[in-house]
Amino acid sequence: MNRFVKLPLSKLLFGAAMPMLALGLAAAPPAYAQEKTIVLGAAVQLTGNLANSGRYYRDGYNLAIDAINAKGGVNVGGTKYKLALNILDNQSDVNLGVRQYVQLVTRDKVNFLLGPFASNDALDDSVVAEKYKVPMVQGGGASGQIYSRGFKYIFGTLPAAGDYFKSTIEMLMKLNPKPKTVALIAADDSFDVSVAAGTRPLLASAGLTVVADKQYSENSPDFSSILSFVKSTSPDAILWTGHEPQALSFIRQARSLDVNAGLMSSYTVGVPSSDFRKALGPDADYAFGMTPWLPLKTLTDPWFGDGMAFADAYQKRFGYPPDYHAASAVADVEAFAKAIEAAGSLDSDKVRDALTKVDFQSLYGQVKFGSTGQISMPQSVIQIQNGKLVPIYQTDFIEKPLYPTPVWSKRH
Amino acid sequence: MPAVLNQSEHREQSEIGVQLFGQVFVNGVLLGGLYGLMALGMGLVWGVLRIVNLAHGAIIMLGGYTVYYLYTGAGVDIWLALPLTMAIMFCFGYVLQRYLLNLIIRSAMLNTLLITFGLNVVFVYMAQLAFSADYRTINPPFAGNNFEVLGITVPVVQFGAFVIALGLAALLWLVLERSTLGRAIRATAQNLTAARLYGVNPKSIYAVTFGIGTALAGVSGGLFGMVSQVSPYMGVTLTAKSFVVAILGGLDNPLGVILGGLVLGIAEAMTALYLGPTYTDVISFGLLVLILVARPAVLLEKA
Repeated sequence: MNRFVKLPLSKLLFGAAMPMLALGLAAAPPAYAQEKTIVLGAAVQLTGNLANSGRYYRDGYNLAIDAINAKGGVNVGGTKYKLALNILDNQSDVNLGVRQYVQLVTRDKVNFLLGPFASNDALDDSVVAEKYKVPMVQGGGASGQIYSRGFKYIFGTLPAAGDYFKSTIEMLMKLNPKPKTVALIAADDSFDVSVAAGTRPLLASAGLTVVADKQYSENSPDFSSILSFVKSTSPDAILWTGHEPQALSFIRQARSLDVNAGLMSSYTVGVPSSDFRKALGPDADYAFGMTPWLPLKTLTDPWFGDGMAFADAYQKRFGYPPDYHAASAVADVEAFAKAIEAAGSLDSDKVRDALTKVDFQSLYGQVKFGSTGQISMPQSVIQIQNGKLVPIYQTDFIEKPLYPTPVWSKRH
Repeated sequence: MPAVLNQSEHREQSEIGVQLFGQVFVNGVLLGGLYGLMALGMGLVWGVLRIVNLAHGAIIMLGGYTVYYLYTGAGVDIWLALPLTMAIMFCFGYVLQRYLLNLIIRSAMLNTLLITFGLNVVFVYMAQLAFSADYRTINPPFAGNNFEVLGITVPVVQFGAFVIALGLAALLWLVLERSTLGRAIRATAQNLTAARLYGVNPKSIYAVTFGIGTALAGVSGGLFGMVSQVSPYMGVTLTAKSFVVAILGGLDNPLGVILGGLVLGIAEAMTALYLGPTYTDVISFGLLVLILVARPAVLLEKA
């Protein structure tokens, strides 16, 4: 129905929203006017259907900025600057996000840009960064499409979407029994299209036969047709990519339609998040997933100490545990701090050049951008075992996987 | 030899094809029942009050949360939580209509669209503030169970939702056709002046009708939470689907709305299987356009 009234209504609403927005902005005291500050701008999904993941970025940015400021801020050519965040709510609307980034750059004149959540958003928002030549470091979009356009002002801390299943497939070839057939199921947004495009050649070179290769619509909550089709092909492994709410629907409907992979199922997004385990309960068990980050003590960080200390600080302040999205967000802020110090200047081009050279150990891992601007990191395979997240495999096995996955009827 | 092999292989293939068709057809029917139940309230309110309720999806969402908190939060038995939710949502809808929507019910269509759109925004944002954007699932022990009929897997919850949808639609039909209240509701819809002359109080009839619509939406939200999940933002697509179903089914007969739901459910399931799920929206809204072209009178008469 929205489609029918969207035109006049959205105009009316826009008309109503603009004064409200202006009022809100005017009411916010410019806290960063007095002391020397560097303002980082971002438009993030604080409300709307991606708000559940958007919060990782809001909270990650805030925590990182406070931690850096608590240790004296950023040293720019001998002068100490504090970091400040100018964050807007893009309401999970890509078009609104683009307008907000233009506003951040042209009206609010923020120094640098942090990214939104999700590849679709980062893909469009980064155009603003490129156009106005303001560097953006984003930790929410993994799609290769973001980096394939030759842009010079976009940097990213999520590893390439096309490689998400790489370590999983590597692990599969070392397991017994070895899978032979695979069903690949991907959403139609830019992240998942990239994942699928990257996974197909990996499957081919591993000698796995793809018996089902299906794309689904992000807007559709119903998987019954795809699941029934997958069932008819009886694959050994199901590799699924999409976002968290769809993962929940997929798994619940798989159980209710009694669809079982012969050996295992893996999901690109959702598995590392505590919300996923809470929503599914025991049905989350045996699900494989992946994460570029785990809260480890071995990940040393100049501001937080280490990955574990960061996770504790995050949990304590926000009341829920961080996943790799939050760690990636923190790494974005830290990359700016490092690059600005190295550049010794707030000049966009100098900081942009410094970003190409950053190389430091952080709670997220080694932060170093490749020639396209994207970080390169291995994905750790993880699995839910008895309601707990267990790291299984990176380049070799870390813990023993529960394998093969029993059929639904034998699980409870 | 190879020819024989091929033949049996071929037969096996086509058997799989038939089996798959049957399974997806059943999936579509079951999903369609739920769609029908979702649209029932929207169709009723539209037909009687001439309000196209853009907050309908948000009301489904609120019903989902009510069931979630009753069942998961307070530990109320699911079979009690569903009727209890209907009662709570009825009161909510009654109050909403009586003290808010009744104020503008005589004004232009655009005003009712605007106010329900506004309500939708308010409900959704309040829900995010109150319940957070976390995804909630309603998970009674039988939620993932299924049984098999002729090699076709039937999920218990979807089947239950389908039966409940049929039952509630039949009940609504009975109430509308056979009871005094139903006659008053139909009379108000058909001829307000005449109904008034016969002593019907439209204010209370409107509120009761809206309450019934809200109760039906609420219970469908709970059932949807068992199949999928509940989040503050689930409503937008559901409003759109309810709209399509209500138009498909016509606005005078609850059983027609269920039929509309079945048509949409089967069409979506088949599209997803044979064309790809990306096209499901194209098909459902294509159906809508077709109906509007073929039966424009439905809209003109009723709205």
